[in-house]
Amino acid sequence: MKMSRILALAALLAAGCANVAPYQRGYLARESMALDPNPGMAKALEKTYSAKEAASGGASVGGGGCGCN
Amino acid sequence: MRRLAAALALTLSQSVLAVEAGGPVPDVSGPRIDAPSQSLALSSLRGQVVYVDFWASWCAPCRVSFPLLDALYRENGSRGFVVVGVNKDMSLEDAQKFLKKVPVTFPLVGDAKDAAAKAFDVKTMPSGYLVDRKGVVRKVHRGFTAETGAAIREEVDALLKEPS
Repeated sequence: MKMSRILALAALLAAGCANVAPYQRGYLARESMALDPNPGMAKALEKTYSAKEAASGGASVGGGGCGCN
Repeated sequence: MRRLAAALALTLSQSVLAVEAGGPVPDVSGPRIDAPSQSLALSSLRGQVVYVDFWASWCAPCRVSFPLLDALYRENGSRGFVVVGVNKDMSLEDAQKFLKKVPVTFPLVGDAKDAAAKAFDVKTMPSGYLVDRKGVVRKVHRGFTAETGAAIREEVDALLKEPS
């Protein structure tokens, strides 16, 4: 009983997945599929933000504060 | 319970059996993208050695494979060797852009509805299927490097020497 419930749940979860066949990966290569569609602009914005807010490293880089990086 | 598991397994495995060496080549056809209003069926190439190559503009190794396959086609075309490039781009424009950079002379067909890719059950891009004169797949190349190119050259030469 418990096993069939797990299976039913697995079936439900699997239904939410879309298989992308190897030959369909052109969809994933689209610009709009990128995590960050405009990495150059994002980098510039982040630099401005960290300069204005004195928050160097606040976004993702480790360190900051000691002036050593 | 077992039925449920079987049904689940069936839903998860959508693909047909992949085409491997030793099996017959699926009879697929498609519209030519290099020659408008023409189409090409693999069955019409029986009697020739055929290399069916699945490619796309977003497939990086295809930039390596295309010049090598084209050279092979030019050299051995008169002996009965033909390359068929099956395009897997989402838009024809992408394919045309790629072909401007890497022009080839062998026939290219489109596969907009994935019928050919499904029939072969393509696992990797690029995938190449070397078919002998009798329509039997003799070698499957998944992925492409310069070594693959050299291997195909030898295999094609051997297959061309076989009687039809």
